[in-house]
Amino acid sequence: MNWNVLLQQLVNGLSLGGVYALMAVGFGLIFNVLKFSNFSHGAVVTLSAYFGFWVSRYVLSSFIPTLLATAVVGGFIAVGIERLIFRPIRRRGYPVTMLIVNSITAAMLVQQFFAVLLGADYYTYPEFIRETAIHLGSITVSKIYLLMLGISAAVLLGLSYVIRKTRIGIAIRAVSTDISTPSLMGVNVDFVVSVAFFFSGILGGVTGYLLGMSFSVDPFVGSLILKGIIAAIIGGMGSLGGGVIAGILLGAAESLLIAEIGAALTPIVIYAAIILLLLVRPQGIAGRITDVKA
Amino acid sequence: MTDVLRLEGISKRFGGVVAVEEFSLTQGRDAITGIIGPNGAGKTTVFNLATGVYPLDSGRVFFGDREITRLPPHRRTDLGIARTFQNIRLFRNLDVLDNLKVAHDMKVRYTLWEEMLRLPRVRREERKIHEQALHYLDYLQLTRYAEARPANLPYGIQRRLELARALMTEPRLLLLDEPAAGLNPQEVRTLMDTIRKVREDHRLSVIVVEHHMELIMNICSHIHVLDFGKKIAEGRPEEIKKNEAVLQAYLGDEG
Amino acid sequence: MFWLKVLEITSLYTILVLGIYLMTGLTGLFSLGQGGFVSIGAYTAAIAFVRFGFPFPLALVAAVAMGAVLGLLIGIPTLRLRRDYFLLVTFGFGEMIRAALLYLSQLTGGAMGMAGMPRRAGLPLILVSIAVITFITYSLKRSRFGRKCVAIRDDELAASIMGVNVFAQKIMVFVISSAITAYGGALYAFNILFIEPNLFNWLESGKLIIITFVGGLNSIAGVIAASAIYYSFGEFFRFIDVWRDVLLALVVILVIIFRPGGLFQGLELLPRRLKAQRKVR
Repeated sequence: MNWNVLLQQLVNGLSLGGVYALMAVGFGLIFNVLKFSNFSHGAVVTLSAYFGFWVSRYVLSSFIPTLLATAVVGGFIAVGIERLIFRPIRRRGYPVTMLIVNSITAAMLVQQFFAVLLGADYYTYPEFIRETAIHLGSITVSKIYLLMLGISAAVLLGLSYVIRKTRIGIAIRAVSTDISTPSLMGVNVDFVVSVAFFFSGILGGVTGYLLGMSFSVDPFVGSLILKGIIAAIIGGMGSLGGGVIAGILLGAAESLLIAEIGAALTPIVIYAAIILLLLVRPQGIAGRITDVKA
Repeated sequence: MTDVLRLEGISKRFGGVVAVEEFSLTQGRDAITGIIGPNGAGKTTVFNLATGVYPLDSGRVFFGDREITRLPPHRRTDLGIARTFQNIRLFRNLDVLDNLKVAHDMKVRYTLWEEMLRLPRVRREERKIHEQALHYLDYLQLTRYAEARPANLPYGIQRRLELARALMTEPRLLLLDEPAAGLNPQEVRTLMDTIRKVREDHRLSVIVVEHHMELIMNICSHIHVLDFGKKIAEGRPEEIKKNEAVLQAYLGDEG
Repeated sequence: MFWLKVLEITSLYTILVLGIYLMTGLTGLFSLGQGGFVSIGAYTAAIAFVRFGFPFPLALVAAVAMGAVLGLLIGIPTLRLRRDYFLLVTFGFGEMIRAALLYLSQLTGGAMGMAGMPRRAGLPLILVSIAVITFITYSLKRSRFGRKCVAIRDDELAASIMGVNVFAQKIMVFVISSAITAYGGALYAFNILFIEPNLFNWLESGKLIIITFVGGLNSIAGVIAASAIYYSFGEFFRFIDVWRDVLLALVVILVIIFRPGGLFQGLELLPRRLKAQRKVR
């Protein structure tokens, strides 16, 4: 067993894991606040990837500003979806299943729309950083991967700070616990929900940008969201920290498995492992089982 | 003669909060018992533990001779424990008749294969269950609502429906969770008569969780009082009315 | 004849929609992995016939049996999970099947797919199948099975207190649905005559769910109608085939917001029922 190769794979896997972690948290945020699985997050990721491409190719091609712009746009897209698609359902008091169904539909809408519009072409981001590598000891690490890892970490740390320390973060946490009480305390729940979506959209925007940057942009980029959701489950829905850990673990595991047993067998092993894990521990790594109040 | 229900020192915590602590209760065959206590005292949790909604942290539950501590809810219902809910839980997407029929479905006697092919036996059994449902609707004077959707009905009617549905399970023990909540005084009086009638006609044992003092004092022969999950008093209505601890629990510290 | 072809394709897909009706429409279980069962049915029947020489009817039986058995194996660990978890785990299952089919290329032909099936599943067989499946679905809906499913969908806790063995019922629904879906897949193999692992991905599975919602959760007739409209539409208007999905998505979003009972809102095509419905309104 070649340890160097293994370590190399691990490091690569970690950066992919960082992206999964971003997706898990983006998804998990909405899960906490509105208590449903928002499949349209994939649409946000896809749209952001396209936007990022467009901006960096036609407007401005330096790294940080385009990333920031994409993140912000991602936030607004998410809020748009919330206003147009989810709020009418919430307003009318429909059961949660409707939200889920509509979120899937929205995802499909976006994916199909872009598939039609732009066809099967795929686009690549301009090269921001020359494809060089850094040498750490005996491992060669691609700079791009390091960058991805760094950005993911930065964004997650920033979010963590906001959630813990700022007023809006506390408001979000309050609404997560109970959606009606905060309004009695003068908190504008609709606004808080929108902000939560905005944050999840920022995460989605960054995700889309990073994915677009490291792979390429096509209508199916958002389907990777599903891996992120799986990370969220394994981490334990409702626990953002768990989602981060699970995302990183998933990325690392995937990377190592692909190297060892090949890309064909890897999904089988991973999904089988997830099913087994949920069998044994349905709440995931960090979640808690809450008894339903009768 | 064995008691219908016996709860032996049951306890349950949720996270850090103790909901019920070392609660014991013995329910005889023909008894009507009440459980009262201030809000949050754990009364509904006792029902949930007795019906198997939550697993116990400690203690045991017996139905007749049989220990049912680990039995899942549907098995307990099969044995003869029926219950109504504090927040009405009728099935919104089934009409009233179907709501009742579901409660009897465990006793229906056709197999899945027969069902898929809609064999004559299925038709016969369906007719029987249909008549049974109509019978209970009639019994509680609800016949004209047979094909309505529960959500469209007045609150008092929904409560009676929950009762009819519970009866469809052919129980020996009936657990009523705040049956008088939201009813006006006239309706409460009707409810009291109904409970007595139902109990007599079906030889049931009844436990009622309630806030409504008039109801409890009038129909129950034995009362348990809970506060913060612990039993603080037990006895006949007259005794409970004068009990110091009970008064304090309800009224707070009265100097 | 063109029309016959349209009818065939539409009916095939309608079988798949019916397959999930009991599970998703009545019981409220969402599975993004039905594609896995379609593939299992298709490949089992195809492999049994082409590689092992099973007679055609037996190949169909094998497909159904395989679907049912796998439904049981997957259902047991996963049906205790919450709805969201179940949805994602079934997605995982679908992907697992796809990966497995690609991997076992000796048996399945891998990414190249499989061909060589004769056209044994023609229009008569398909139509008879739909009729039988509709009958079975409707019978189940009308009696104890259907009541229990709806009760579970509405309020699992109350259902269990009313004596319903929720877990057992969910398993039964899932197994029946898987069996029907696998059957549909088998028919597909012997009608379209070419199958490959990417046959039916999670998005297509999602579409089945969406069509069920549009048709109305309480209406078999509605679901069939919605399915017929959607899939035949795609055949008639091939050139806007791609826009069809966008249109579907828009319609669904609007339907859910403004008419959540589905387009056909619980209507069933039986004279007695129609009269009753007019009364309740």
